Amino acid sequence: MTNKELAIHVEDLTVAYHDKPVLWDVDWDVPVGVLMAVVGPNGAGKTTLIKTLLGLIKPVAGKILFFNQPYQQVRQRIAYVPQRTSVDWDFPTTVLDVVLMGRYGRLGWIKRPGAADRQAAMEALEKVGLQQFAHRQISRLSGGQQQRVFLARALTQEADLYLMDEPFQQVDATTEHAIVNILKELKKEQKTVVVVHHDLQTIREYFDWVTLLNVRKIACGPVDSVFTEENLRLTYGGHIPVFQNAMINGQ
Amino acid sequence: MDIWGLFTDYTIRNVTLGSAILGLVSGGLSTFAVLRRQSLLGDAISHAALPGIGLAFLFTHNKELMILLAGAFVAGWIGTGLMTLIIRHSRLKEDTALALVLSVFFGFGIVVLTHIQKLPIASQAGLESFLFGQAASLVASDVRLFTLISLIVFALIALFWKEFKLLTFDPDFTQTQGYPIWFLDTLLTTLLVVAIVIGLQTVGVVLMSAMIVAPGASARQWTDRMGIMFFLSGFFGLLAGTAGALTSSFVEKLPTGPTIVVYLSVIVAVSVLFAPHRGLVAGWIRRRTANVEIFKHTVLLALYDLSRHHPDERHGHSEKVIEKALPAEVDVHKILQALETEHLIQRVNHNHWIITAEGLQKINQLNSEHVNHD
Repeated sequence: MTNKELAIHVEDLTVAYHDKPVLWDVDWDVPVGVLMAVVGPNGAGKTTLIKTLLGLIKPVAGKILFFNQPYQQVRQRIAYVPQRTSVDWDFPTTVLDVVLMGRYGRLGWIKRPGAADRQAAMEALEKVGLQQFAHRQISRLSGGQQQRVFLARALTQEADLYLMDEPFQQVDATTEHAIVNILKELKKEQKTVVVVHHDLQTIREYFDWVTLLNVRKIACGPVDSVFTEENLRLTYGGHIPVFQNAMINGQ
Repeated sequence: MDIWGLFTDYTIRNVTLGSAILGLVSGGLSTFAVLRRQSLLGDAISHAALPGIGLAFLFTHNKELMILLAGAFVAGWIGTGLMTLIIRHSRLKEDTALALVLSVFFGFGIVVLTHIQKLPIASQAGLESFLFGQAASLVASDVRLFTLISLIVFALIALFWKEFKLLTFDPDFTQTQGYPIWFLDTLLTTLLVVAIVIGLQTVGVVLMSAMIVAPGASARQWTDRMGIMFFLSGFFGLLAGTAGALTSSFVEKLPTGPTIVVYLSVIVAVSVLFAPHRGLVAGWIRRRTANVEIFKHTVLLALYDLSRHHPDERHGHSEKVIEKALPAEVDVHKILQALETEHLIQRVNHNHWIITAEGLQKINQLNSEHVNHD
């Protein structure tokens, strides 16, 4: 490994649901400042990997470090964008309220969000193009807008590492565009972003690093060197559609 | 009983105050139970509390409410903890764990109560009133106890409102923000157990879950803000508690607990039917109006289409023809009249119609709106 600081360092990580391994002996390093896509077939353990990193799932074995420290010590520096479908959007609250939740961690117990927090939330909403929806009831949002609300909530945390679970899943073109712009901006600010992703066609366009995962880690590195047909075949079995091959090989 | 009796009669005052406070507390917590999809948890907890009442009496031979309720609290809490353990460590699902705890604890509770009834001690009578509640037995010291408990419950909710709201909306995210969800979850569930336990004497084991479900479900209908929902839910509980207690005081042989639940049912029915946005009637009206608008557009477009086939602008089109553009059950007269009052179409003779210049404009406008939406 190079001397460059690692945003995430994972050793021998194994996670199992009822004796069935979901992640098996994963060693994984994510350097600071990369836009990392995590791809793999359904059931490959992508979401499990993210949740285990965040301490939401307890691993059977393994070691996880962020910026060379255990999660508890650097929690503030790690923001999480869960899958949009993980919450009930009929919940009685407003867009601004949800975005403000990204400040709760730094607020600490009992204290209520103040003017500075509200301003940070409004700025985040502006970044995702939803400032005019601040006081809207969240059930009156489209799927893409919901996704952007979650993104804004993570942005208000002003973290150094962003873990996003399928942010591009079933969103409209406007939202996809907004997310891509934010990824670029985060990259510019030297932040690290890990995105669970489904669409192999946009990997080259959106990300500079990629991890191929299928229970085991198949490969991880700069897109140009690891996003190869052979690695994809190893990850997906024989199921990659032929028409994608040209795209994978480069042009 | 006259109105004056309300203020002077010792029993009525205690029953009314006790029921009101109970309604307020369980109503407030109902917001969390409903939003966290734990409506059935209340039912399980109240049933699980029954053996606690019996055992507390067996051990102490004391019928002091505080002691019996302490037993109920411990048993209710153990039942809840057991459910969590079953869900976490076995492959049984939540509904199975709930039903298991509810029925096993309740069955055990009945066994204990039956055993107590056979004991040769005079003080054993009356424990079975916890099944359906007996508000008339509330005394001033009980009301004081309820007041104290409710103050503690509301103070804790006020203190941890931000955390409880976050937990209710997104538990995983709560944990990533550094809040231990086991602590928040345990605290909130404990408050729920407390609310249920103080309701056992008034409403009883069997009907208590209504107090935990109905106010929150009703309140959700009227508002899209959790804070308002919380107050409204507490208010509904208070209202039903007070009304139920007063009604049962004025009507002979009317039990308080079930009467409170009847009032709650009315609140639920009105809320589900008539709430402005989420109510069934509002939805029904909305769909109807939307349909009428769609039918109007259909007729307008049909007339526009017909006019293009006829060089003569004043050539009217028969209702019989226009009718074919609409579903069979729609009254074409009503739609035509609505369009006429908006000056979008014009009657040329008895039942023949043409589209007006305004009508054409409207079509253009609708088309451009449509494009903008894309």
